[in-house]
Amino acid sequence: MLSWPRRHPDEYAAFRDGLLSAVPITIGLVPWGVVTGVAMVSAGLSTFEAAAMSVLVFAGSAQLAVLPLFVARAPLWVMLATGLLVNVRYFIYSAVLAPHFARLSRGWRLLLSYITVDGVFAMFAGRYRPGDGVAAKHWFYLGGSAFVWVVWQLASLAGIFGGALVPRDWSLDFAATLALIALLMPLLFDRAVVAGAVAAGVVSLAGAQLPLNLGVLLAVVAGVGVGMAAASLDGRTRRDA
Amino acid sequence: MTAWPLIVGLAAVAFFTRALFILPGSRLKLSPVVERLLRFAPAAALVAIIVPDLFRVDGQVALTLWNPRLAAGIVAFAVAAWRRDILLTIVVGMVTLAAAGWIMR
Repeated sequence: MLSWPRRHPDEYAAFRDGLLSAVPITIGLVPWGVVTGVAMVSAGLSTFEAAAMSVLVFAGSAQLAVLPLFVARAPLWVMLATGLLVNVRYFIYSAVLAPHFARLSRGWRLLLSYITVDGVFAMFAGRYRPGDGVAAKHWFYLGGSAFVWVVWQLASLAGIFGGALVPRDWSLDFAATLALIALLMPLLFDRAVVAGAVAAGVVSLAGAQLPLNLGVLLAVVAGVGVGMAAASLDGRTRRDA
Repeated sequence: MTAWPLIVGLAAVAFFTRALFILPGSRLKLSPVVERLLRFAPAAALVAIIVPDLFRVDGQVALTLWNPRLAAGIVAFAVAAWRRDILLTIVVGMVTLAAAGWIMR
């Protein structure tokens, strides 16, 4: 199980190294955490519910994505399916990280699963290779992730308690949608993804009157289909040229 | 409406996506076909949430262009494309929403 690495200078150094390396990526998380906190209480969650969501879910984009659906009273399974789709990138992180952490205890693997975030994953994947024999690398990962976790929770709490003071008629719930727009940008990394996103937007509008907010899920299916088609078309034209 | 089923369910979903390959060790692998499919899901899901919300008038989706939320969304998109700054995007978007709400009422 976990033990504080006092007697292992390598582990302590790796933890500290991870923590310090995470500082620059964490700065950008502060406004996002505050907005997520505000958005949760604006959507009607109590301060306690919002704080619990922040700690238990610990996935900002998934939290932000389900809030407009919660306001629109979508059924639970549609909200969860949406959260899953937004979080789909974690399947890839998980698959990349698995060989690094395969030899750790179950307690470690549970902890490192829960605490995985985009920024630290990217940092870690750029720095270590599977089978590189670096024994203390999970301490690097934990150091960075723990720092991100603490900063995120504090920012989220600030938003939760700050947001509760804001009058309801300021329509601050719209801030969640605006934050999603900002989060969308780095995801639009090539033409096929953009084609898929456009298709998803059109289908989500066309399907907006469908019961149970099914339009969202239908839109994702259309988006993935059009994205795949666009990618194979793009590949073909490039080969021809 | 109580939020607890959502909180617990989303916690389970978030943990599942992160733990799926880490927890079993190296026994599970992601197939390349699935990996290719998964590339397109996050952007499509976000757009599918954002777009209807921009056309929402009094809780209902209405296909009208004369709409403060749509105006704010378009401006926010432009700001996000220009500067990838979450805070700036939100501030400009909220100010636009207020201004457009005042003009379009």
